[in-house]
Amino acid sequence: MSIAGLVREAADRALADAGMTMDDIDAVVIGKAPDMLEGVMMPELWLAEALAAAGKPVFRVHTAGSVGGSTAIVAAQHVMSGVHKRVLTVAFEKQSDGNAMWALSVPVPFGMPVHAGAGGYFAPHVRAYIRRSEAPGYIGAMVAVKDRTNACANPFAHLHEPDWTLEAAMESPMLWDPIRFVETCPSSDGAAALVIAAEDVADSLPGPKAWIRATAMRSEPTMFAGRNQVNPQAGQDCAADLWRKAGIADPRREVDVAEIYVPFSWFEPMWLENLGFAGRNEGWRLVEDGVTDLRGGSLPINPSGGVLSSNPIGASGMIRFGEAAMQVMGTAGEHQVDGARTAVGHAYGGGSQFFAMWVVGAEKP
Amino acid sequence: MTDEMADGPGYAIADDGSFTAPLNLAYPYSRTVGPIYGAFLTGLANHKVGATVSADGTVFVPPAEFHASTGERLDNWVDVANEGEVVSWSWEADPDDSQPLNRPFAWVLVRLDGADTAMLHALDVTDTSSVRTGMRVRVRWAADAEPGIHAIACFEPVEIAGGGPS
Repeated sequence: MSIAGLVREAADRALADAGMTMDDIDAVVIGKAPDMLEGVMMPELWLAEALAAAGKPVFRVHTAGSVGGSTAIVAAQHVMSGVHKRVLTVAFEKQSDGNAMWALSVPVPFGMPVHAGAGGYFAPHVRAYIRRSEAPGYIGAMVAVKDRTNACANPFAHLHEPDWTLEAAMESPMLWDPIRFVETCPSSDGAAALVIAAEDVADSLPGPKAWIRATAMRSEPTMFAGRNQVNPQAGQDCAADLWRKAGIADPRREVDVAEIYVPFSWFEPMWLENLGFAGRNEGWRLVEDGVTDLRGGSLPINPSGGVLSSNPIGASGMIRFGEAAMQVMGTAGEHQVDGARTAVGHAYGGGSQFFAMWVVGAEKP
Repeated sequence: MTDEMADGPGYAIADDGSFTAPLNLAYPYSRTVGPIYGAFLTGLANHKVGATVSADGTVFVPPAEFHASTGERLDNWVDVANEGEVVSWSWEADPDDSQPLNRPFAWVLVRLDGADTAMLHALDVTDTSSVRTGMRVRVRWAADAEPGIHAIACFEPVEIAGGGPS
């Protein structure tokens, strides 16, 4: 499949789900991770043809791995501004066309080397988290088994591996100590698309819809003295802004389900803390206690199987946002969380420096 | 600056004392091109030039996967001739190793007979007086045609009976 075909398939499904065609769409917002992952520069110009967007405003968003989330938020802002009524937003990555791991690890002379792709970059953050929080070593494996098991209930997840046990996960080969193979996202090709519409348009459409209650984005530099890379300030600020805008005082109790960007399993407890679902150094306890389980947990995290089971990088954030929407629409199928009324989509990117989040609800705010 | 500092890969201290290091960017890209371009590129290896046809009857060569104006998904397939007409051209006086011919040649946009759009390729002529808009050209197939655009070695002028190149 070509990149154009991949993007078009996602767009066609989103439009069909919304009961629209491209003729109804006022503008298109496209996101993907850095262009050098496929070696196609500014693909949004060329993809306008595949999206039947010739003559329509097309806007491109760049925020590294968080881009799928940021792109959905920019699309929402196109509508919130009152300029457009119906916006199609699409995000994609086709990792098989390039080599993302090495594209992210250019050994620039005299600079700090990133080495060994994203896993090599993030492993020290994970080690620091384990040291600070005194989390047991098996927490990462617990998250991996949960997400890989959840993925089996999601026909769109790329990895369907039903047989993982905690014991087997703990035996999985070590890639970047302490990150094991099973605790690592795959390299995927994929695309996601959403249709975001104004309130009056949404009111006129039959069927369930997800109401956007709040959106937030924040960023910070990759490196600065005293930076907290385990619990970045930009993420904390983004979450605080999100809860304030959504009118959520206690996210742990008021949110029913969250799809958060967990490319390496240890990021689940780390982001639970960064988002304010758990206190400092307490995120791993929610994992250990089964709070984040799809069945029986009071705050299921990544019922779709998450980034750990499908990682078309540019699309991964939008998949989180779309999965959150499907949960409150009640259309998540086998991985539906019973009674989900309030859901969070979350994405991060770069060196844990870009954050994008939204809260969607089943009821109109 | 001491020699000990120059211990990275390829690091060196130049005669003027400046510290130097190489940065060679290279990424191993590959493409899966999908059903339409894939069929086109595979067809070339079998000496067939494929095209897609839109609902309004436009014949696209190279085949388009989607109509540029309407977004129509194009999967109606026809073969066109391997001979056609030069629509526009530009002279390549100093070709490099990556180009189709290792001697000066013309880049041409060729509209093959039966097609409505033109494709870019090289035309094997010796000088600018041998190429003009409207001239007839045909595909010269590569000796061992593999799937891909290089299955077309280049285009060559069509000789008109009783005359020179048209």
